[in-house]
Amino acid sequence: MSTAGRAVIDSVRAALGRQAGTPVDPRPEILPPRQAADPEAEVDQLLSEVNALAGVAKRVGPDEIEASLRNLIEQETVRRATLWSSPTLRRLDVEGRLRACGVEIVAPDADKHALAQCDLGVTEADFALPETGTLGLLSSPERPRAVSLLPRVHLAIVSRSAFRADLHQVFSEAKAHPYLILISGPSRTADIELTVTLGVHGPRALHLWVLSDGD
Amino acid sequence: MSDAPPEYIDFAAYSRHVPTTIPAAVQQATGRFLDTRAARVAEMENWEALRQAASDLRLHTLTHLDVYLERLEQQVTAAGGRVYWARDAVEARAHVLGIARSSHARTVVKAKSMATEEIGLNHALEEAGIQPFETDLGEYIIQLAGTGPSHIIVPAVHLKKEEIAQLFREKLGLDAPADPVALTAVARTALRERFLAAEMGVSGANFLVAETGTLVLVTNEGNGRMCTTVPDVHVAVVGIDKVVPDWESLTVLLKLLARSATGQKLSTYTSFITGPRRSHGEGGPKELHLVLLDNGRSRILADEVARETLKCIRCGCCLNVCPVYKNVGGFAYGWFISGPIGAIFAPQMLGTRAGRELPYASTLCGACVDVCPVKIPITKILLHLRRRVAQGDRVAPPSAPWTTRVAARLARWSLATAWLYRLGARVMPVLEAPLARNGWIRWLPAPLNRWTRVRPMPAFKAGFRSWWASHTKGPTTP
Repeated sequence: MSTAGRAVIDSVRAALGRQAGTPVDPRPEILPPRQAADPEAEVDQLLSEVNALAGVAKRVGPDEIEASLRNLIEQETVRRATLWSSPTLRRLDVEGRLRACGVEIVAPDADKHALAQCDLGVTEADFALPETGTLGLLSSPERPRAVSLLPRVHLAIVSRSAFRADLHQVFSEAKAHPYLILISGPSRTADIELTVTLGVHGPRALHLWVLSDGD
Repeated sequence: MSDAPPEYIDFAAYSRHVPTTIPAAVQQATGRFLDTRAARVAEMENWEALRQAASDLRLHTLTHLDVYLERLEQQVTAAGGRVYWARDAVEARAHVLGIARSSHARTVVKAKSMATEEIGLNHALEEAGIQPFETDLGEYIIQLAGTGPSHIIVPAVHLKKEEIAQLFREKLGLDAPADPVALTAVARTALRERFLAAEMGVSGANFLVAETGTLVLVTNEGNGRMCTTVPDVHVAVVGIDKVVPDWESLTVLLKLLARSATGQKLSTYTSFITGPRRSHGEGGPKELHLVLLDNGRSRILADEVARETLKCIRCGCCLNVCPVYKNVGGFAYGWFISGPIGAIFAPQMLGTRAGRELPYASTLCGACVDVCPVKIPITKILLHLRRRVAQGDRVAPPSAPWTTRVAARLARWSLATAWLYRLGARVMPVLEAPLARNGWIRWLPAPLNRWTRVRPMPAFKAGFRSWWASHTKGPTTP
C-alpha cells in the first residue's frame, strides 16, 4: 500500500477509534430473496415488465425462430449483424438464418468501429429476472461485451434455464466472473424537458425472445 | 461553476438570484420522480425492512471502513486493477493526469461522476491539453452551456428544448429542431464519435464491492457502459465511502437506489466490473485504475452524529421532497451537491466556515428523513451542524426590513377579518387575470416583483370556502 494509502487508512482508524486487527462485527443480516412463482407465471411477468420498459418481449416456439428473425430484419431494417457464439445461438443456427436473409455478419470480436456499424447484436441471456424485467449477461471471448452495446438493436434469446427469482441467485453465480451487465429495457434518457427518449448511447430497441421449455 | 472548492457559500445571496425558470422546471421533475417513486414503494411489501437493512449495512460498513478498504485494495489488485490513494483533490487530479499522460490520452470520455466534479477534474484535464467530454446527455448539455447541474439526476432540467437547440447550433454547428428526440439523436451521433476515438474513459462508481474488488456502475443512457467498455483505459475516481462488504449487500442497496431516484425498479444498465479484460476477445479496457478519494471523508467519520451523512447512496430523493430545494434549485447550494444532503455534506467537507449558511437552508420539516432509503437522520445532523457553526463561526441573524413587518401585519388583519378575506377571494382572480398563465404568475410590478424576480408565483386557484363547498359535494366513498 502506498504512503497516501497508509495515511488514509490511519486517519480512518483514528476517526473510528479502531486499531489494526480490531475484530470485525458480523455484517448485518440481508433480507431473504423473493420466491419464484410457477414457471409460466415467471415468464409472463418477465414479458410484461420488459414490454412496460418499452422493450419488445415474447415467447418464441421452436418453429417460430425463422419467421421471427425475418420479421425483425424487416421491421428494424437490419443489413449488418453481429452475434455471440453461444451453444443455444449455434443450435438455433441464428447466424445461418441471418445470412440466408441476406444479412452481412460481422465477427463479435471485430474492431469497435465495425461493431458500431452493426444494426443488430444477438446475445443469449445468462440470467433473467422477472420482477424487474432484467437480463443478465456475462462476458467471455465468445461472448464479447460490446455486442449488447454498440449495435442499434439488441436481441437477447432467453432459455428457461436462465430464470432466477432474485438478485441473490444471480450474484452468487456472477461474482466469480470479471464482468456482469444487468439490462432493463432499451437505453433511455429524460434529460431534455423530462421527455423519455430511447436510444441515447446504447441500443434504441431491445427484443427479448423466451424459448419454450427444453429448447 | 468554478472548479476550486468555494471559500464561502452565500446561500441567501445565491437563492435571490435564481432565474424564475428554475423552480418551475425543478418542480416538474421532482413531482414526476416522486409520483413514480410512490408507485414503486406501494408495490413493495418490505420497503421499510429494506430501508432498515440498508441503513444498518451502510453504518456497519462505515464503522469498519478501514477493514473493507484494505480488503478492497487487495481484491482490485488481485483482479489485475491498480489502486491509487488520494488524501485530497490535488492528489486525485495528479493520479488521473499521470495515468492520462502515460496512456497518451488526447481525449477522455466521462460518465456522470460526483467525485470528478468534487475534484474539478475537467479543468485540470483541459489545462494539461486533454479534452474531457461529459457523455451523460444532461451533463453534456451543461458542459456546452458552461454551467453547473441544477439537479443530481437531471442536471440540465432548467434548460428548455429551444435553448438546447440554440446551444447545439452555437457550440456544435449542428442544426436540429427544438424537439427532445431530434436533439438526443444529434447528441448520440456527436458522442458516438467521441466514444470511439477516446483513449481513456473516466467514471465514478455507485458501489465498490470489497469481497471481489468489483466496481458497480448504474446508468440509464448506456454512457457508463460506453466509457467503461470502449476505450482501452478505464479510470474510476471514487470516494472511500462507496465501499460495500459483499455482493449480498447489493441485493438490498440496488433495490432501493433506482426506486428512490427515478421510480424505476432497476436502472436500465447496472455494470459489475472486476479488473481489466482477461482476454482480447471479450472486449473491455486493457487497464483498470481505481483512484480512492478521501478528501475530508475520514474527518467526517470522526463525528459520531454527522458520520451518518456518509451512508448516502446519491439517489437524490431528498432533493425531490425538499420545499427549500424545490424553490431555489441546485445552484443556490453553491457546490456540486445540493438539497438536504448537500446542506449537511458540504459544511462537513468544506468546513463549517465555508458552509456555515447551509445548515440553515432548511425548514427542518423532515420530509427528507421520511424518504431517505438509507435513513440518514438529516434534520438531526442539520441541528448538530448548526451547533457546530454557532460554536465556531458566526452567522448573521435573520432580520426582516420594516416593509416586510408592515406587510405581515396587513396580511394578519385581512386573513383574520371574514368580510375582507371574502372580498379578497373575489377580487384576486380578476386582478391577476392579465398576469397568470398556466397557473403561474411570472411577472409582478414593483414592489411585488421581489417575489417574481426569484421564482414564479402560483396563481390563485379558488377561495377556500368555494373550494370546500365543491369538494364536499363529490362522492364521499369510492
